Amino acid sequence: MHKTMETDVLVIGGGVTGTGIARDLSLRGVQCILIDKSDLNAGASGGNHGLLHSGARYVGSDPEAAVECKNELEILKKNAGHCIDDTGGLFIAVKGDDEKYIADFPGMCEKSGVYCKKIDIALAREMEPVLSDDMIAAYQVNDASINPFKISIENMNDAVSRGSQYLSFCKLIGFKMINNSIEYAFIINQDNGETFQIKARTYVNASGAWAGIIAAMAGITINMVLSKGTLLVTSKRMTKRVINRLRKATDGDIIVPGGVVSIIGTTSVRVESPDNIYPTINEVDHIISEGEKIVPALKTCRYIRAYSGARPLVGEGNNEDDRSVSRGFTLRDHKVDGADNLITITGGKLSTYRLMAEKASDLVCWKHSIFSKCLTKEIPLPSTKSGEWSEPGIMATEPVMSKIINDPILCECEMVPQSAIDTIVSSIKQAGGKPDLTSLALRSRIGKGPCQGAFCSLRIFSHMYDSNVLKDHSDIRDLKNFLNERWKGEKSLLWGQALAQSSLKEMIHSGLFGLELFENKN
Amino acid sequence: MKIKKNTDCDVLVIGAGLAGYIAAARASDLGLKTIQAGNSATLFFASGLFDLLGVFPIDSGKILTKPYSAIKKLQSDQPEHPYSKISQNQIRESFQFLTEFLSSAGLNYQLPGPDNKQILTSVGTFKPTYMVPETFSKGCDVHKDEKNLLIVDFKGLKGFSARQAASGLGEKKGKTYTLSIDLPENNGSLNPVHLAKLFENKDFIQRLSDKIIEFSGKADIVGMPAICGIHNSLDIVKSLTKKIGMDVFEIPGMPPSIPGLRLKNAFEKKLSTLHVNFLSNAKIVFHAMEKDHFILQAINDNFETRIKAKGVILATGRFPGGGLFAKRNIVIETIFNLPVFQPETRDLWHQLNFFDAKGHMINQAGLETDNSFRPLDETGKPAFENLYSTGSIIAHNDWARLKSGTGVSCVSAYTAVNSFYKKNM
Repeated sequence: MHKTMETDVLVIGGGVTGTGIARDLSLRGVQCILIDKSDLNAGASGGNHGLLHSGARYVGSDPEAAVECKNELEILKKNAGHCIDDTGGLFIAVKGDDEKYIADFPGMCEKSGVYCKKIDIALAREMEPVLSDDMIAAYQVNDASINPFKISIENMNDAVSRGSQYLSFCKLIGFKMINNSIEYAFIINQDNGETFQIKARTYVNASGAWAGIIAAMAGITINMVLSKGTLLVTSKRMTKRVINRLRKATDGDIIVPGGVVSIIGTTSVRVESPDNIYPTINEVDHIISEGEKIVPALKTCRYIRAYSGARPLVGEGNNEDDRSVSRGFTLRDHKVDGADNLITITGGKLSTYRLMAEKASDLVCWKHSIFSKCLTKEIPLPSTKSGEWSEPGIMATEPVMSKIINDPILCECEMVPQSAIDTIVSSIKQAGGKPDLTSLALRSRIGKGPCQGAFCSLRIFSHMYDSNVLKDHSDIRDLKNFLNERWKGEKSLLWGQALAQSSLKEMIHSGLFGLELFENKN
Repeated sequence: MKIKKNTDCDVLVIGAGLAGYIAAARASDLGLKTIQAGNSATLFFASGLFDLLGVFPIDSGKILTKPYSAIKKLQSDQPEHPYSKISQNQIRESFQFLTEFLSSAGLNYQLPGPDNKQILTSVGTFKPTYMVPETFSKGCDVHKDEKNLLIVDFKGLKGFSARQAASGLGEKKGKTYTLSIDLPENNGSLNPVHLAKLFENKDFIQRLSDKIIEFSGKADIVGMPAICGIHNSLDIVKSLTKKIGMDVFEIPGMPPSIPGLRLKNAFEKKLSTLHVNFLSNAKIVFHAMEKDHFILQAINDNFETRIKAKGVILATGRFPGGGLFAKRNIVIETIFNLPVFQPETRDLWHQLNFFDAKGHMINQAGLETDNSFRPLDETGKPAFENLYSTGSIIAHNDWARLKSGTGVSCVSAYTAVNSFYKKNM
């Protein structure tokens, strides 16, 4: 007999949408269990620019999405300010860009009510000295930078504090259907191999790019189209503001500051499966060659990481459900498909995650005949201690520096002290998870600086043995997994200094410690 | 205004990693007028252990016990590998030379026998190596004997946990104990160099011994992080052994490495008594050949030195050392612009998995050489009559995976200098 857990709502997928739904429902008094086959933001929620769109990017292609972005930007700035860096943004065009689009841009913004202000080229260069000499037009907009990891961590922390539960590394393996209803979900805990069941009143498929795979377990077909986007992280912050190329959205035309670094992207390549996607050399070189047209320094600067995410888009040719709120995202009640208590929410964008969570939660409540109002527009997202360390460059702030006397710095690139590791370890334990380097990396900046984990991994790893978090020799596979995760983001960017640094990493971890000889049981 | 100088020499050694130091040692030993230029901080990354060949074939996934029979196989399977250019006798001779040189500099290494040794590392893995400092010797193959072991760590010494090291000894017959010592000197963290200096103080050794002695009934041998003094480390370990009444050995860990610092100090001290002129942190620029002499310039913050050299030993290393530099799509050699063997395109440089059993192709990159380690030009002839190379800049040498880095450095430096000497002197 399997263990069975019961809850009002089972949310499948721990990205921004899933965690947003868990918080939204918890605020309305609806209890949730959220499961993820990996950990928070393992999919597109962790593989994006961290850009909070002002809406200006969509004024030409999707005015409805532009309006949504504009409204959400205001709500999030007000309610989740601690996850946002209100940088402002610029749209700039360079010689050769489509002059008609440039001329139409202010009018399109006005039509959608999206703020944009034409500024002098000279002023734009004063604001952002790295901009290209070929600049021919510049507009100021309200873009901001958002930390998607922090958003998910804080949403989940708030949901947990209100009685919901988060289960990491718990993968859905099937549904038990009776008539047209899901009786329970079969889950496997991938840490210990244990299987169990979760019985819920409603099941919410918030699995992003995996939405088609999850729906198929209930016998439902969703035609997902997956578009891989690749992004690059520079070792230093290049601009104060978000820089957009003023043209129809295409590759390599947005540069977003993320704390002490900048993120450049993206690309769009169809992929078959959302699993095992990684940046290729061609994508990296393409992004750099596009990016350098607006910021020439991108040609020579140092990059520390590349990563990819799969955008979940729902394919054309499906019968458009009438509850599909916008072309930006898809919300579907699968009652019409033969699964009364399953809904899917997918597509959309980081900027509108809260709205997606609101609409999905509204649908859940409607199905449960609960008459309640969404509260995430009014109630601010609380700031917790364990969310603090996912912030790039947090140590640069004075109050934090003064706290760490007698507190050894374990990650020297990103200045993460031992006390921060201890705080995150205990928050992972409290949530019932297994703390290891990989889950720490998700919740902090460790391994994200120029050394890409070569040194901090060892310092943190030995600290975890000292504090009894790790005990066994076999835990070395965690060190290997962590280094390999870092590697996926490094390998397409290894030239110049970065190659020298990665060679040092290999000297230590292979040359001295011989980790490649340690059998990897995963 | 920089001071301008002129100097000449028989041999200019470029690089101050192990390969460069061994080349300078051999050159001065043969009585050659030697100049060495480089940044010796790189030895903070050297574990202090000398490997010969610890894994072969590269994807065997296993540690070798008998390096010489594996080298024989390597010589027939991989004629392009640096070991395939020399005889096994040259290897033995070069290691003999190295131990004697280091011993004369006051740093004692065990003269190696025919077999590899296995050394417990701070992460709990075992490293196959060939020649170890005397301060490591009691810990060789410690997992195979029945002694009860005590591993000591120091609170604040980041990256070294006795528990973690001990976790690798699960199958050991004897018992393993751990002890974590909180020194009054620890204010959150302990700098390894400062800690190593503390070991040079007699009172500190007494205090430390007192803490360890309570285990003397249970344990037979003590393992410590490799920080037992910068100078006279062997005397310090002996004095600890005497006071505690148990054998003591050192365990290698993450950089900065104190045994690497000891090597740097030993080489620097001895080479200066042999009148090797060391140009610290100098960037070397090759100008031209003047008849059969190299004309180069050494530039640092204060000096510009014009050097006329009969021979040059290139010991500049690979990417971390700066001997090779990777542009986005091509790898170049940085001083003589020599042809570099390398994978054709960047997408072949690295594998998808960091720990791929075959290793990364970029680590095969480097200079192709003749049998006396002279780099070749495009036509396959020595690029210069008296230009030699040594160490990791030599191609077909994934030393991190094969655990062969210091062995290649030692034998190529020794062979290259000998060849130059024989040909010119």
